[in-house]
Amino acid sequence: MPSPVDPIGGMRVSTSPDETPVFSTDSDPWVRRLQSTESDIRDAALAELRSILIRGLTKPMSQRYGGSLQAEDVVQEALMKIRDSLHQFAGRSKFTTWAMTVATRVGISEMRRKHYQDVSIEAFQNDDATRIEIAVDESVDAERKIDRQIMIDKLQKMIDSVLTEKQRFAIRASLEGLPMEVIAEKCGSNRNSIYKLVHDAKVKLRRAFEQAGIAADDFAATFA
Amino acid sequence: MAMTKDQTETLIALVTDTKEDTLDCDGCFELMAEFVEYRLSNHQVPEALRAVERHLEQCLCCQDEYRALLDGLRAIAASSGD
Repeated sequence: MPSPVDPIGGMRVSTSPDETPVFSTDSDPWVRRLQSTESDIRDAALAELRSILIRGLTKPMSQRYGGSLQAEDVVQEALMKIRDSLHQFAGRSKFTTWAMTVATRVGISEMRRKHYQDVSIEAFQNDDATRIEIAVDESVDAERKIDRQIMIDKLQKMIDSVLTEKQRFAIRASLEGLPMEVIAEKCGSNRNSIYKLVHDAKVKLRRAFEQAGIAADDFAATFA
Repeated sequence: MAMTKDQTETLIALVTDTKEDTLDCDGCFELMAEFVEYRLSNHQVPEALRAVERHLEQCLCCQDEYRALLDGLRAIAASSGD
């Protein structure tokens, strides 16, 4: 296995002759410093890590959701999450890469939460939400109008018969652009469950499309 | 609130592009740091991490976090003078 180039610099994971990583969390200098019983050492490590995370979070956060939050707004929460999760650091990457992974998720999750805080999901929870509604184009000929209606009826029948109520809701909310974790939060679930719900729904619909002989371009061609 | 033509078209594209995904978002997150280092180093991603690629193709949330992470790590490297 090629040893990944570290973009930040520092310790690499040692490997045994058979290339199996040999690692204990305590062997990482960052972990040792962050867990030190000496407050000077611990505080210095936290300050250093804080500085790295702010440098890493500033640009991506400024480019998302209108830059509604800044790195400084989330770095404290990220540091707490990192300290609470130190036991999960498996040494398969640089510590700072792992810490940035945690901090990025914390930062973007907070931005999503804030961005969608006033969005209601009620409109996606009724039966009407997955009804396909396409205005009839009077400029096309009668035969084409019929083809379009047949296509809509086919798709509608599949959506109604193949998907569960929960799947229809999750699909509809995601089509509106709501991130999985926002949908999850608003309906008291979790991101993994919503992702699985949507993914399973798409797989079921794909099978139904295949059985009905509907290809990706058919809809676009019918409505061209 | 019914589905518009554009949303129906998006749904069809999403459905027809759906592929097998053996990871969920937390599973992807656990492997993300290792995966992103391979990407930054331009080394070939090992088979064990291919599942991350597949999940990122399917999950827009994880995909956005991955892109943000790449940008962030590049910014750190640039500011460190690497």
